[in-house]
Amino acid sequence: MLEHLLPQLFNGLILGAFYAVVALGLSLIMNLTGTINMAHGSFLTLAGYLAFALVTRGTSFWFALLVAPLLTVAVGIIVERTLMRPLYGREPFYSLLLTFGLSLVAEEVYRLIWGANGVPFSPPPSLAGTAQLGFMTFPSYRLFIALALIVVIVALTLFLTHTRFGLRLRAAVLDSEMIAALGTNTQILYMINFGIGILLAGIAGVLAAGLLGLSPTSGNALLMPAFVCVIIGGMGSLFGSIAGGVLVGVAISLTTLYIPAASEVAMYILMAIVLLVRPRGLFGEEGIFG
Amino acid sequence: MKLNRSTFVKAAAAGAAGFGVPAFVPRLGEAADAIKIGVLEPATGVYAAPGGNEVNGMEMVVEAWNAKGGVLGRKIELVKEDEQSDPGVGVQKARKLVNQDKCVALIGTVSSAVSLSVSGAANALGVLFMDTGGHTDDVTGKDCHWNTFRVCHSTWMESHAIGATLLKRFGKKWYLITPDYAYGHALENGLKDVAAKAGGEIVGNELTPLGTTDFSSYLTKIESKKPDAVLVLVQGDDAVNCLKQMNQFGLLKKFPAGGPQVELEPLWQLPPEAREGYWGIEWYYKSDLTLGKSNKAAHDFVAASAKKYGRPPTARNCFGYVGLDRVLTAMADAKSTDTAKVARAIEGVKFTSIFDGSAYFRKEDHQLMWPMWVAKIRPNGTPSDKYDLFDVLDTHDADSIEQSVADKAKVCKLNYPA
Amino acid sequence: MSLQRLGLVASLAVAVLLLFAPQIGPLIHLDTSIVSEVLLFAIAAMSVNLLLGYTGLPAFGNAAFFGLGSYGAGLSIHYFNAGFFLAIVIGIAAALLGALLIGPFLLRRRGIYFGLLTIAFGQVFYFIAYRMTNITGGEDGMNFPRPLVHLGGTTIKIDDVIFYYLSYVVFFIALIAFWYLVRSPFGHTLIAIKQNEVRVRYLGLNSDRFIFVALIVAALYAGLAGALYGLLIMFTFPLALDWHQSGDFVLMLILGGQGSVWGPLVGALIYVVGKDIISTITPAWQIFLGGLFIACVLGFPKGLLGTTISALLARERESDDSAEAAAALEISVPR
Repeated sequence: MLEHLLPQLFNGLILGAFYAVVALGLSLIMNLTGTINMAHGSFLTLAGYLAFALVTRGTSFWFALLVAPLLTVAVGIIVERTLMRPLYGREPFYSLLLTFGLSLVAEEVYRLIWGANGVPFSPPPSLAGTAQLGFMTFPSYRLFIALALIVVIVALTLFLTHTRFGLRLRAAVLDSEMIAALGTNTQILYMINFGIGILLAGIAGVLAAGLLGLSPTSGNALLMPAFVCVIIGGMGSLFGSIAGGVLVGVAISLTTLYIPAASEVAMYILMAIVLLVRPRGLFGEEGIFG
Repeated sequence: MKLNRSTFVKAAAAGAAGFGVPAFVPRLGEAADAIKIGVLEPATGVYAAPGGNEVNGMEMVVEAWNAKGGVLGRKIELVKEDEQSDPGVGVQKARKLVNQDKCVALIGTVSSAVSLSVSGAANALGVLFMDTGGHTDDVTGKDCHWNTFRVCHSTWMESHAIGATLLKRFGKKWYLITPDYAYGHALENGLKDVAAKAGGEIVGNELTPLGTTDFSSYLTKIESKKPDAVLVLVQGDDAVNCLKQMNQFGLLKKFPAGGPQVELEPLWQLPPEAREGYWGIEWYYKSDLTLGKSNKAAHDFVAASAKKYGRPPTARNCFGYVGLDRVLTAMADAKSTDTAKVARAIEGVKFTSIFDGSAYFRKEDHQLMWPMWVAKIRPNGTPSDKYDLFDVLDTHDADSIEQSVADKAKVCKLNYPA
Repeated sequence: MSLQRLGLVASLAVAVLLLFAPQIGPLIHLDTSIVSEVLLFAIAAMSVNLLLGYTGLPAFGNAAFFGLGSYGAGLSIHYFNAGFFLAIVIGIAAALLGALLIGPFLLRRRGIYFGLLTIAFGQVFYFIAYRMTNITGGEDGMNFPRPLVHLGGTTIKIDDVIFYYLSYVVFFIALIAFWYLVRSPFGHTLIAIKQNEVRVRYLGLNSDRFIFVALIVAALYAGLAGALYGLLIMFTFPLALDWHQSGDFVLMLILGGQGSVWGPLVGALIYVVGKDIISTITPAWQIFLGGLFIACVLGFPKGLLGTTISALLARERESDDSAEAAAALEISVPR
């Protein structure tokens, strides 16, 4: 079994990076406004479909990877301004119900536009091969995903820690009343925060479309694991979401190796253990980043 | 965008009334004297695509029969409900169709769980149920009923068809990727049965949870076992993911891959590089082996369906078509819509249809006995037809791949009412 | 008419209307079975209400108990030929067993963590039901017949209409029991825990014990609903345990109005009947149902019933009866 361990670990890290980015987006949105975004998966799917639409109109995969997430953010901002804003300050259940309703609508809309059957979407030929990594051959596309996600995570961290906007964002999570009193327009802050969360979902969505299928229901499968990652990592901690993602990815991969039957439920058992032992998650604090 | 509370409440009330009104009005266009057939297919969720194709097949039957005056002088009407791949919803909608809409027969379903629950509900309601797309052995096995018939092949038939071809063409050492639920295990058992009888060996078996999006953990293990063939037993979306990833890992170039059953719907979703392997198929629109060389009915159906829906018909269209066609034929033969009479008029009757050769619904378990085929996938179709993905190679006739009547009799008792 | 009397009249009107559901339903294409389903889901939503609406604990995994009830009834009939009522009892027992099993773990956490733990445990049950194909039928689920009932010398076949009236009786017993429960000292303690658990503890009460009992009662309600639902559709399947099912119950509660006794019924009515009617009209029903949820959240912040009652209460603000009315209608203090 040992010769399988390293490749499996590697797999797990890549899977984990993927979960991490999705979890990050969820976490960002949750931390600042208490909004539980049950429609996060729908945004992932939207980005995939928009990328598909661009590519079928002749653009390159790279162009789609750049533009589709931005278009998705535009949709996200419209949603935020019209539907989410009335819910700020209310209990999280309402955002849960509303975003759930939104996910239902989105799924049907995708079905009406692009059909119930999925659509083919694949990475560009330059990424279609395999790379020899010494201990295993690995699909180039997965390596690309890993690199892309690492770049995204690093960029986000730099943004949050080294820009003034990032500073305000982190301050707002701690005390949004104070920051409003100090003159920051919190409405714009919330809007941009949501936009960043959706941007992360969008990028993950385009990458996922090349890896998995693209159909009206494909984004939903990633939602629950992402939530679990947020919880395990600790709500309120962005670094926790990353850590949670990696942990879940590795846990699933390793369970698959040793106890394949349990790999699906491993995630929930892990979540239960974390909740019982250290409920605020591995890195959770009262809303402090990192 | 602040909503004024009281105007909103009024609007919501009006909206609610608006929803209620259509419920009061009987469904538009309902001819009072029509024979109503209740259609239970998923219109939402992961099975919406095959469900929709089954309905398309049925609609062509209705057109054809109504053009000839219907059955017993009455027009045929389909009353459709979305069973949402939920067994509970399936049962409730079945009751609505029979009790409220006065349907005399039920047809449809894709998910096996819904087939089972609807079969039971139909039995309690005393109406005919033609299972078009639910594959579990139990529908014509331990959960069989006198009023339930099944068009698509059983799980046992699927595993035995591909098993026979693999033995013939590739060898006896197989590596399985099995979805870890009842359907996957049923396929696994069927393949073990084939292997045991032929001296084959299953060198590896990966159990993957349903809804697995990432197969990488399983795929990395395959190479070292050097199997003669890799069998992918996963279905639908899982199959799409698995094949896509197998391709990305370069496995499709190294080992022949195949599976007991594949459908055009998921294949059309895959990029061409991931369309590989030898697969059991239940019907195909463009092969002499599946349609029969001079089978006019078959070729007419394919042409008409492609014209009407913009895409070639899949096996799902065929299930819907054959299922409804036989129900209506039986009603005409029995000169009645009474369930028991119609059931007696269906079973055992040999007929020809839109596939090669003749078939019949077996008297003992109501399974349609028709062949399965095995095809190799053409990744890009042909230059003239990008949909033409199957190069059909082998035919396996029903008796060689389904359990014998004696075996089935051990688990299935139809129990006709006295 | 005072608010209290209005509430009583409304309650009676609903009871009478429901009494004639098998006769009225078909007029709007509603099968009797669907109305039975509304009542049963309302009971399940009551179990969520007890924990969420009155004790302040997000019960996101109650389908675990619902599903255990369904499997308990189904398995006992399938394997042991249990009678109709025995099957229900076994179903409830299964749900209670589940609560006893996971209760001690759930007690260790509050708030959102409690909710997430319930989901986690629910998924473990789902996984078990799913995997034990030989016993439970796995993902294909399991058919089972509705046992005949032998009373005295006669044998009664429980058809859809009889089943409905049975559900009707069970529902109203459950409702009245719920009403008494939340007015009792026990119920008031739960409400106090929702408002401030620390204060309750300082008053010398063991809040853990109260929460545990609330969990047991919730499991009882959900298990009863599940057992009856299994008997309604004569089928049991793993999805009944899944977090999506739990989510449906929570949705019904939020739609109707948590913290009120009739809220679960209102929510179940909107959700089940709404979904049934809309899905019959169009295959694109998800758009309308989703839109309905969004509209409800934006227009009715306290759920349909909760908001209506709050609005009516606001109008009675000047009246002396308002405080009494609030108590009589069992509206917990809005946040």
